[in-house]
Amino acid sequence: MMTLTLIVAAFLAGLAGVLGVRSVLGDGRHTRWTSVLMLGSFGFQLIWLGVRGELRGSCPLMDAGEILVFLAWSLTLFYLMVGAAYRVMLLGMFSAPLVMVMLLVAMLPGMLDVDPVRQEGVDYWGEMHSAISVLSYGAMALGAVSAVMLLILDRLLKSGELRSGLFRKMPPIHTIIGSVVRLTVIGVSFLSFGLGCGLMMGAMGGGHFWVALFVWLAYLLLLGVWFVRGMTPRRMSVFVVLLFVASLSVFAVL
Amino acid sequence: MTILNLFCLGLNHETAPVEVRERFSVPMEQIGARSRELKMLDGVSEAVVISTCNRMEVYVAADGDDLEHAERSVKDNLGVSEGDGAHFYERKSGDAMRHLCRVVSGLDSMVLGETEIFGQVKKAYQFALEATATGGVLNKIFQKSFGVGKRVRTETSIQNGQTSVGSVALDLAEKIFSDLRDSTVMVIGAGEMSRITVQSMVLRGVKKVYVTNRSFDKAVDLAAEVGGEAVKFDDWARVLSKVDVVISSTGATEPVVRVADIEVVRKKRRYRPLFMIDIAVPRDIEHEVGEIEEVYLYDLDALQRQVDEGQARRKAQVSECEKIIDIEVKKITNQ
Repeated sequence: MMTLTLIVAAFLAGLAGVLGVRSVLGDGRHTRWTSVLMLGSFGFQLIWLGVRGELRGSCPLMDAGEILVFLAWSLTLFYLMVGAAYRVMLLGMFSAPLVMVMLLVAMLPGMLDVDPVRQEGVDYWGEMHSAISVLSYGAMALGAVSAVMLLILDRLLKSGELRSGLFRKMPPIHTIIGSVVRLTVIGVSFLSFGLGCGLMMGAMGGGHFWVALFVWLAYLLLLGVWFVRGMTPRRMSVFVVLLFVASLSVFAVL
Repeated sequence: MTILNLFCLGLNHETAPVEVRERFSVPMEQIGARSRELKMLDGVSEAVVISTCNRMEVYVAADGDDLEHAERSVKDNLGVSEGDGAHFYERKSGDAMRHLCRVVSGLDSMVLGETEIFGQVKKAYQFALEATATGGVLNKIFQKSFGVGKRVRTETSIQNGQTSVGSVALDLAEKIFSDLRDSTVMVIGAGEMSRITVQSMVLRGVKKVYVTNRSFDKAVDLAAEVGGEAVKFDDWARVLSKVDVVISSTGATEPVVRVADIEVVRKKRRYRPLFMIDIAVPRDIEHEVGEIEEVYLYDLDALQRQVDEGQARRKAQVSECEKIIDIEVKKITNQ
């Protein structure tokens, strides 16, 4: 039953991605179905996380599979908030396949504990640290997806390839870079809070701590340069993508 | 009375030079009265006059079967001489209806698929209606043609793709900056092309326009026309740090804007995007400027390519539009 819930969530995200691509490559007309399907996928992810949390007796972030589902949920959450609010609907076409892949990978053998062990004596700072940090990764992942969109649009504009449906549907550079920066700021804010919770649980020292600290400082530096000195949108996008990929190493040293 | 009594007499940009078109043109405020005047002619029961800068057409429903007689009355009233005859075209019954649908859909326009004509025909019909110059036949075919025009626009891509250098530049500017109301434009060279391009941006509400020209007087004139500020030609590089869009069209034989000019202001501009439109031949902006990360440089050839593609896209849609028109015309002629 639990697996079926994840399959449905992955299917809906995949369908959202397909509809988004079809809308862009086909008649170029706007479709609201991407958002609706992503909302459905979000619901099924939430059900899965809720049940899994009950089984764990804590925040379901104990194995690689749970982290991936939580990350996918967080990314979907920010897409639904940012995509709708800032009319960056095309984000759905880019983020839906990523959500689907995360959910499918989470279902691979060995990713999820078959018999999740119920946690005794829950450390609330630890719970907050895990949940808030993964939430921050959702925002930063969506920021990276937006950055990829900007890099594609930049490439199309530079090369004068302006005929495609993709080009016509892309939001302007100004809008995309705004969303990249906004999502990165949100992500770093959550990450700061998550790190604070980590310190409260006494998690100083160790590989995970140092990598997390490095990621946090690197993001702060990037935002500092953007706001103080200024940077080309293309360079900012490249750094956001690279930094997000590098930051995933935090999970490798858990 | 049926559509069989219908005929259209007209001239347009393809059949008549401007000096002939202006002789037959009717000011918009006189359309109603003129339509009414034609309706009162012997053999005519309804009339609508359409007059734009590119065409003048009269749609008439004849009183009875003698179309020839009605046509002669209309021609006499319009003052069509024997010499003018070659510039006029005539369409009857279903062909007149088909022609009206093509006009309303923008298929007969100088810029294929343009939308302005729809509003112009609608206004002309409205004036004729208010002047009680229309009746059962013309009311029916005009209403029908508006429905066809809407169908053509929603079911085909006849409006897609830009058809002028100015509109391509405008679209690109909006693809970079989203809302031009926050953007500042600098025009280098106060020629006709610059004027047309900057005017389209002013209509979209750009925040500020700077105009510079070797002859300062011309810069002042264009700045006054577009509500901008004139800048001395040896001072334009200072202004560059403030602008988002540069439109360059001077008669210089050597590049006016070089890589070094941009490099100097990059930091001051905080590396934000700069859209540069070079519509001069020979080019005003060094080609290498386009290699700077935040600069999007388009020269006349690049813009013209987009125009050509836009026009080709529209032409490719014509047969789809004609199919819709044929179906709708058949429906009404079979009634």
